[in-house]
Amino acid sequence: MQHDIPVPALGPQGEVMAHAVDACVHCGFCLPACPTYALLGDEMDSPRGRIVLMKEVLEGTLPLADAAPHLDRCLGCQACVTACPSGVPYGELITSFRGWSEPQRERSPLDRAKRAGILKILPAPKVFSVAARVGQYAKPLAPLLPAALRAPLDLLPERVPAMQPQPPVTPARGKRRGRVAFLAGCAQQALTPNFNAATLRVLARNSIEVVLPEGQGCCGAAALHTGAREEALRLVRQNLTAFDPGEYDAILSNAAGCGAGLKEYPVVLHGLPDEGQAQAFAAKVQDISEYLAGLLRAGELEPFLPTPRPLTVAYHDACHLAHAQGVRAAPRELLRAIPGVTVVEVPEGNLCCGSAGTYNLEQPELANELGVRKARNILSTTPDLIASGNIGCHTQIGSHTRRQGSRVPVLHTVEVLDLAYRGEL
Amino acid sequence: MTPRKTALTPGSRAPKPRSGGTPDNPLAAELTRSLGPQKVLSNLSERRNYRYDAIQFGATPLAVVLPESTADVVTAVRAARAAGVPIVGRGAASGLSGGAVPMQTGLVISFTRMIRLEVFPERREARAQAGVVTLSVTEAARPYGLIYPPDPASFRTSTVGGNLGENAGGPLCFKYGVTGDYVRALEFVDADGEVHELTRDAYDLAGLLIGSEGTLGLITEATLRLTPPPKYTRTLLASFAEVGECAEAVSRAIATGAVPAKLEFMDAACVSAVEDYLALGLPRDAGAVLLVDTDGDDLDTVEEERALVEAACREAGGTVRRAATDAEAAALWQARRSVSPALGRIRPQRMNEDIVVPRSALPEVVREIRALGDASGLPVVQFGHIGDGNLHPNILYDPRRESPEAVHDLAHRIALVAIRHGGVLSGEHGIGTMKRPFMREAVDPVTLGALRDVKRALDPAGRLNPGKILPDEEGETHAHP
Ligand SMILES: Cc1cc2nc3c(=O)[nH]c(=O)nc-3n(C[C@H](O)[C@H](O)[C@H](O)COP(=O)(O)OP(=O)(O)OC[C@H]3O[C@@H](n4cnc5c(N)ncnc54)[C@H](O)[C@@H]3O)c2cc1C
Ligand code: SF4
Ligand code: SF4
Repeated sequence: MQHDIPVPALGPQGEVMAHAVDACVHCGFCLPACPTYALLGDEMDSPRGRIVLMKEVLEGTLPLADAAPHLDRCLGCQACVTACPSGVPYGELITSFRGWSEPQRERSPLDRAKRAGILKILPAPKVFSVAARVGQYAKPLAPLLPAALRAPLDLLPERVPAMQPQPPVTPARGKRRGRVAFLAGCAQQALTPNFNAATLRVLARNSIEVVLPEGQGCCGAAALHTGAREEALRLVRQNLTAFDPGEYDAILSNAAGCGAGLKEYPVVLHGLPDEGQAQAFAAKVQDISEYLAGLLRAGELEPFLPTPRPLTVAYHDACHLAHAQGVRAAPRELLRAIPGVTVVEVPEGNLCCGSAGTYNLEQPELANELGVRKARNILSTTPDLIASGNIGCHTQIGSHTRRQGSRVPVLHTVEVLDLAYRGEL
Repeated sequence: MTPRKTALTPGSRAPKPRSGGTPDNPLAAELTRSLGPQKVLSNLSERRNYRYDAIQFGATPLAVVLPESTADVVTAVRAARAAGVPIVGRGAASGLSGGAVPMQTGLVISFTRMIRLEVFPERREARAQAGVVTLSVTEAARPYGLIYPPDPASFRTSTVGGNLGENAGGPLCFKYGVTGDYVRALEFVDADGEVHELTRDAYDLAGLLIGSEGTLGLITEATLRLTPPPKYTRTLLASFAEVGECAEAVSRAIATGAVPAKLEFMDAACVSAVEDYLALGLPRDAGAVLLVDTDGDDLDTVEEERALVEAACREAGGTVRRAATDAEAAALWQARRSVSPALGRIRPQRMNEDIVVPRSALPEVVREIRALGDASGLPVVQFGHIGDGNLHPNILYDPRRESPEAVHDLAHRIALVAIRHGGVLSGEHGIGTMKRPFMREAVDPVTLGALRDVKRALDPAGRLNPGKILPDEEGETHAHP
């Protein structure tokens, strides 16, 4: 697309944004992939429309405040990136744009407080755990609260589990075959500690030593995607110091959003002195399913025990795994490697479940609509189990399938593998 | 007979965006009053997003209506008429000729929320509102053992209304025909806001509306013919040293009486662009490749036809590779579908021609265009539905480096090659604004007069999509104010 974006004036992130706008030929192929376009059916709430809006704000011909409502409705799911034949890096565009525009946004004090709160609580597992417990007691009050406050409560599980701190080093079982670093993640440590426990068990069983480097923090994705660029930069640099890519075979994450965030570091630091360091780091980052599928393909994965009866597993593609990281085959291959498991595809599989980081809090109606639709689509496959690789999807899908009266368990892919190893599926 | 309803309508209860503030012009205000704020966009940020299609940016409309029913369309048309402003119909805006681009400020009616779709398997028909996405017709029909064959490369995003507006085609149209061949009936709203129901008997007025690019009426619903898919399909790839040989192979193959389902070609530049993009293992040293599907319900006939095409390709000097598996065939077709996006990596902009020439003239036409491209210094690539004589020569350019005049001039000369060989300006993408300047050379004055008479009969005030298809009359600067 032709544009008059004053690139030099916008700095290194200006290059990232202008490159994306350049690459878009406004063909509209991304439209049917976009969840907000599917719900609202208008151009401003489509990827192509948003690219044009951002272009015009950057060119200075459209006030930011006019474009903002439509940009805010973007889930950042990057389904448009998968659909785009021209390879437009939409994710990099919207992330950079949010970082660039946030300081210029006019927000109400309440809005600011809410956002600051989210950014404080989410990345700090201990704080989150406390907040979740408080929230749990507030649940009965939910019907009295406005939608924006009710949404997070709806998502909390019935019982907030106790924290399970992980050891700094989990030794490999038997002869060590590999050594990886692991990002422990934030909210999921509090809400679903078993994700990490299962990950460590599965890796150890495959003779992989797992290190949780000291000083690691939040991946920074939440800050980045809400436009808090300074905070994100701080977190990114903290992790670059904590993880020395030279020391490990891989740097693993089991949260799709965090993994995508880690892989984005070179874009975040584009044009800055530590860009090279970020590249070396990102080259080592893998989702847990990618890493395990690598072992599987090399014939090195410990075999799973067969399930006692045939099991239908509906695998849900987390946006940040499928679209942002392009990881689709690996989790399916792993699940299929369990004797007795059939993996089924979910109708409208590419449509986001509506969770998308803080979206439930910011756009509760759309998030709810998408959650209902996703749960209905998944349940239409009559699965015995629902598997997914992301904490956000996990809570959203669990909450909506339960609301639709289903008791089908929702598990992290690696939890399914862990159960299979233990013969407990 | 009860229609089988398909649950394609999202029926979202989420609050639709509504324009903030007060509409800043009387038309937007009037529409907001009559249709409600959720169906009318009047904010600048909203309206700006309705001024482009896949080729061009135009004027920002005064208001945009997102109708949910034919009645909404009627209301909108009447309001625009009262305000004396032009009306542009819009589907997914994937058009490649500027058809959905407003050339003057006015009203845009965007059909993307009119997505009701019903399948009548017993009658082998579907009834679709204008905004239904093309691919969803086949998706809804498939459970009944039926498909909707028109298959523009854009079928995941383009709408039935837009396909009708452009009479869209695709690879399958050599054997199965274009959009217009699948239309049994149409409902449309005329420039006065009257609703009409058309079938294909008496005067084929439906045929007139099809391919009229929203200049004669706004199509609100269509009854589409469905067919069972063929049982067997076989695929082959032939490569040739030179693009003219490829065209000769096509003429020979068709002369043998074979009726392949798809006959598509890509020249050397397309092949290397796709290879750079996807690395599918296409022959990079070839001057052109031909991709062919034969299909049918009788496997022997399907194989026989493939053999005929193979022989024709060899006689023309080509080498032939059969797709051994479905996966291999799928990869070859992915290569063809990826041409457009792959080209975007060579230059950011392209002028996409859409000429049709008699098949007998194909070898000469592709050679002449090749020569024009080589002489111009601009990258010119060729691909298209060669079985129909429908070629897409594309001029790739970077507006910052290459002059738009030179691009336009070359496009003009390519169009003239087609006309000289007895061809036409558009096979499927429409005339729109892009090829409108060439209409005087393509159509004789008497015929052009007849086209103007038709336009006048259906749209006397010239309100529907002005600035498209028909060139301004002599001495006129604007068709209508
Ligand atoms: C990468 C790419 C590949 C393509 N490949 C093909 C191909 O293989 N074959 C092909 O034929 N085309 C192709 N196209 C062009 C385009 O997709 C088609 O022209 C398509 O039919 C346009 O549909 P749309 O819904 O996007 O319509 P729009 O672009 O929105 O509109 C097209 C025209 O129809 C009019 N219109 C829209 N809706 C209505 C209505 N309800 N009533 C009356 N008029 C209406 C508009 O005013 C305009 O003149 C391709 C486009 C792209 C970007
Ligand atoms: S598919 Fe890609 S190139 Fe086409 S409009 Fe969307 S982002 Fe732009
Ligand atoms: S990221 Fe998701 S929601 Fe945002 S524009 Fe792309 S497809 Fe739509």
